[in-house]
Amino acid sequence: MKVKDKRLVVTGIIAAAGFIFGRLAVRGILNLLLGGTMFGGNIL
Amino acid sequence: MKKERKDRIMTIRFGILIFVFSFLLGIASKLFIKPAWSKNYSVKWDDSIGTMISDIAYGAGEKNTFDLYLPQNNTRENYGLVVYLHAGGFASGDKADDAETLEWLCSKGYVAAGINYTLFSEEHSDANVYTQSLEIKEAIPFVVEAAKQAGYNIDKMAVAGGSAGHTLAMIYAYRDGKEAPVPVVFTYGGVGPSSFYQEDWGIFGLNQDDEACAVMFSVMSGNKISPEEIRSGEYLKKVKPIAASEWISNNPVPTVVAYGKHDKMQPFAASIKFETALKENSVDYKYYVLPHSGHGLQNDNKISRQWMESIEEYLEKYMPVK
Repeated sequence: MKVKDKRLVVTGIIAAAGFIFGRLAVRGILNLLLGGTMFGGNIL
Repeated sequence: MKKERKDRIMTIRFGILIFVFSFLLGIASKLFIKPAWSKNYSVKWDDSIGTMISDIAYGAGEKNTFDLYLPQNNTRENYGLVVYLHAGGFASGDKADDAETLEWLCSKGYVAAGINYTLFSEEHSDANVYTQSLEIKEAIPFVVEAAKQAGYNIDKMAVAGGSAGHTLAMIYAYRDGKEAPVPVVFTYGGVGPSSFYQEDWGIFGLNQDDEACAVMFSVMSGNKISPEEIRSGEYLKKVKPIAASEWISNNPVPTVVAYGKHDKMQPFAASIKFETALKENSVDYKYYVLPHSGHGLQNDNKISRQWMESIEEYLEKYMPVK
């Protein structure tokens, strides 16, 4: 794999992780206020 | 060597930027993108759907007003009325908060009404769940009459709400429904406290603290309750007027409800007793538990969808638009 391709893959992984953590953060805050579990039910 | 280091720093900075951007995108997507099916329960309101008359008075209090949503088709002989009561912990909220729901109900051919009630506050420290339930009882004949004056004769009604509004809706349906100006044929809602047994209210620690429990139940019921009465069980008589599940046998109205298993604002344990009461009284009911959700019913969209579909099904069954 070329360095450029590697960088693209890593960027994609970072973007996906950021997106998932963003959604989990909202879920976590809502759970804190209203009650609820971090996982299960809706995907993320 | 220097260039290599500079490149690495740039790559790290770029990575951080991508992460922050994606994180914010994730937050926005969670906050603003609703499941596709939820669009079935909102409409783009305009004159082709109906008209809304706001702030019609039903009493002398500042909050004693309601909004009436009248469907565009005014040629039918009779109409079903759906009253939807707003949430807000008995201390906040407004009928305008439920405009989307009321508009949707109106688009289905129902006359819909959102009723305000006097909220518990410093200014109205004597307001409580009981006085609020009496205000709703007082308001309904005015709602039916206002619809009639506008040319919409009401022959049946449903009463619904969210959280505090759900509690008031259930109280009206089961406790006061027989005195309603038209038959109450259906009640629905979510996360409304339905009973006041000390052992169920662990979410606020009331199951461990008789004094706190006495204060809380006194404020909610408007009846002075002492810690001794909590200990002896005498308090149950005093909270009965606001405990919807104690009134089901009085008027066992078809019911659709949803509760979050991890609710921090109202005790899930109370909703289990509520379901038992529905079963014992042979009510035609649907009771949904959202196993990963709290007071916002926010983590179980699949079950939320089933709940909404049941509401539609029961509306069509008990109050068909003819």
